[in-house]
Amino acid sequence: MSNRQDPEANSLQRSGFVVRKERLYGGLIAACAVLTIFVTVGIVLALSGQAIAFWSEISPIRFFTGTQWSPIISQNYGVLPLVSGTLIVTICSALIALPIGLAAAIYLSEYASARARSILKPALEVLAGVPTVIYGYMALVYITPLFGNVLPLSVGLIPPGVPVLPEFTLVVPALRTFNALSASIVVGIMIIPMVSSISEDALSAVPDSLREAAYGLGSRKFDVSTRVVVPAATSGIVASYVLAISRAIGETMAVTMAMGMSPQMPYFPNVLRNLAESSQTMTAAMVQIAGADQTPGATYEAMFAIGMTLFAITLTMNVLAELVRRRFREAYE
Amino acid sequence: MSTEDTTTDRLQRTTRHRFDQLKGQLFEALLVVATLVGIVSLLVLFGYIALDAFQPMTASAQWYLLYFGTLVAPSAAFTLYARRRPAVRAANARAFAVVFGSLAVSLVTYVVVDSLSPYDVLIYALFGAIPPVLIGLYGRERHSQLTGPAIPVSILLGLALAGGLYGVLRPIVGLTAHWIAYVGIVTLPVAAILGALETHRRSRREGAFVATAVFLVTLAVAVGGLATGRDPSLWVVLTSAFVLPVGYVVGETVLTDEEGRIGVLGPFIVIGGVLLGAALERALGIQGLEGFLTPSLLLNSWDGLNAINAGVYPQIVGSIVIVGFMSIMAFPVGIGAAVYLEEYAPKTGPFGRLATLLEVNISNLAGVPSVVYGLLGLALFRNTLGFGSGVVIAAAGTLGFLILPIVVVSTQEAIRAVPNSLRDAAYGMGASRWQVLRGVVLPRAVPGVLTGTILSLARAIGETAPLVIIAVATTTYTPPSGLFSSATALPLQIFAARSNVDAAFRHGVVPAAAIVLLALMLAMNASAVLIRNRFDREH
Repeated sequence: MSNRQDPEANSLQRSGFVVRKERLYGGLIAACAVLTIFVTVGIVLALSGQAIAFWSEISPIRFFTGTQWSPIISQNYGVLPLVSGTLIVTICSALIALPIGLAAAIYLSEYASARARSILKPALEVLAGVPTVIYGYMALVYITPLFGNVLPLSVGLIPPGVPVLPEFTLVVPALRTFNALSASIVVGIMIIPMVSSISEDALSAVPDSLREAAYGLGSRKFDVSTRVVVPAATSGIVASYVLAISRAIGETMAVTMAMGMSPQMPYFPNVLRNLAESSQTMTAAMVQIAGADQTPGATYEAMFAIGMTLFAITLTMNVLAELVRRRFREAYE
Repeated sequence: MSTEDTTTDRLQRTTRHRFDQLKGQLFEALLVVATLVGIVSLLVLFGYIALDAFQPMTASAQWYLLYFGTLVAPSAAFTLYARRRPAVRAANARAFAVVFGSLAVSLVTYVVVDSLSPYDVLIYALFGAIPPVLIGLYGRERHSQLTGPAIPVSILLGLALAGGLYGVLRPIVGLTAHWIAYVGIVTLPVAAILGALETHRRSRREGAFVATAVFLVTLAVAVGGLATGRDPSLWVVLTSAFVLPVGYVVGETVLTDEEGRIGVLGPFIVIGGVLLGAALERALGIQGLEGFLTPSLLLNSWDGLNAINAGVYPQIVGSIVIVGFMSIMAFPVGIGAAVYLEEYAPKTGPFGRLATLLEVNISNLAGVPSVVYGLLGLALFRNTLGFGSGVVIAAAGTLGFLILPIVVVSTQEAIRAVPNSLRDAAYGMGASRWQVLRGVVLPRAVPGVLTGTILSLARAIGETAPLVIIAVATTTYTPPSGLFSSATALPLQIFAARSNVDAAFRHGVVPAAAIVLLALMLAMNASAVLIRNRFDREH
């Protein structure tokens, strides 16, 4: 009788209660996983419900092409000044963080001793862990006065003798109390560890055989690092860049505190002037609306419309980074 | 001719060589500088904040000399002495963890329970704890299969029952004094834990002795406090959650660890140095620090006009209460989701693809800006569930959603690090999936899970943007008194104070509050790193 049955089922026979108990635990744990889906669905529903209500009042075309943002005073809902403010901070902080982060990653993965790495890596991680509200305070109270002493200055890119229109001279005027420069500096410092840690993972994942082959051909460490390891890890580095930029776009407290709340279209052609002036990012606009009267209406719904835009941008970038990283995984594993 | 040729050739080669060497060195120097840029600039900014918070120029030279003599020199000498002796170093580290850990735990417990009302906490703690304890004891006697799933169910039923009977129970419990409630909340569990430890180490009799001793000493302290006419609540908490556990661990080390027993002195040298310094400072009339990081900052309410009296007590308590409720809600769910993804989720087939989708979704959630979570909290807690603006539960829930993906990802990593051979061995011995998980996988994953959860706590305590979006009050003058009372958090107060142009706030109170926030965050990060290092060394 027994040898006809599946021997495994026979040996692993458990009482009905134990099986049911196992199933109960499995169900409970699966419910936890389902709850994380609920968070995503909740975000999308919460954002889209109010955002659609907003876009049915204010046409999306006016929202995405308008150059005036003054929701509370005069009901102008053009998002472009906020997008440009976000872009200024993102570009400037990326100019700070991307090269420094990559250099730190190369140092940590190729040059640093194990001891130096064990100290520097956690020290870099502290940069990302400092509450952003403290970064904002530092920018407002310490960095702005510090740079206020140096500025205004004109950048001598164009020699003084060359006859060009005066407005094309690159001048950084005196810093306002709230300005994009301080905000960009702290956001840049904040996202360095994101670039360095993900890039370092990518650099370390480059197989040693490549390095050994290059050394075997008589290369120096400099050439091995810059011409072999870094190109081999390009996709991982690009992924870290995309993620860091996405983080800079979503950064809120530091830019709200340091950059102020006066939405501006960017100044042309003296682009450096934008650094010294106050502006407003998308996230800061949301904070401003949330801090004002939260009564239902177009202004309140506009907060969700900006949030939806922000969510879409950052989600696209995160998916992009993941896709880039996938390609890199395929190459070496 | 040919010799000349080789000379120029060699000369050229060495110039080339030198140039390359220089290039390599310059490159390395550049990399070092770049790595240090972020760290150094942060240190400079921390320096500015610390200068403003402590105002070190206000203290006299004698003050620095005094504390160098009482605090810095003795602790440095002891550290140097302990460094060479592993047993002493281990005992020293353990003593530091126990002394400052239990001090922090007892103070946080007192402060949180005090703001939430000791009677309420006592009611819910009793109803939440007694049923599972009884079931656990019964299960141990009878080896019943029922007890496993019955424990979480009984906790939930007990809490629901407490909520239902609250109206009847509250007046009855209210008849007792505050300190009796603290005995129930703090002394009872401490006595149980120390008793169980001693039972495990020696025998049941000694365990019972230790547990009774904890009770009697605490009662004696309470009676002493009553006799002098003060409310003994704080003393009850400090005695049973700080003095007695420290005494137990120190006594245990001194009695059993012959090699390392001298190490337990470490924290007492530090504490003694501070106390001696303070006593001498007062006795000799030495000009001390006139900074803003004072006891009044930690114990007073905010005062927007008078910088000397301004404090952040309600903000600190609010932060702790919000983060505490957040962890109760988020950690079980996050750890459960990670366990599902790693141990239960099918790897192939349509459901496997669904699980992969879930995993991708979670890693994407980790990249959503925190303000967007604020919008989720606003829509869910205020507009859908109809909670008031900025209540504790809305703030805790919003932050819980925010850290959920971080907890899931770090727990997944910790579970993945458990070698498969262990699972196979356990399955081979006939263990069920749940038994493998509970007996083999989770115990090995605990340090990794702990590291991840502490890091997410550190993240949550500094998070500001979502709280601003769900309209948590930026300044409140009293600590929260329950789940549905409004609260504020420490970072929100820093945000609110940005527009204060008074120098005493801008370069005084706010930097001091920032130091408190940074200290909380750095302490959490440091303990996470310590746990991770310890774990790495063991394996």
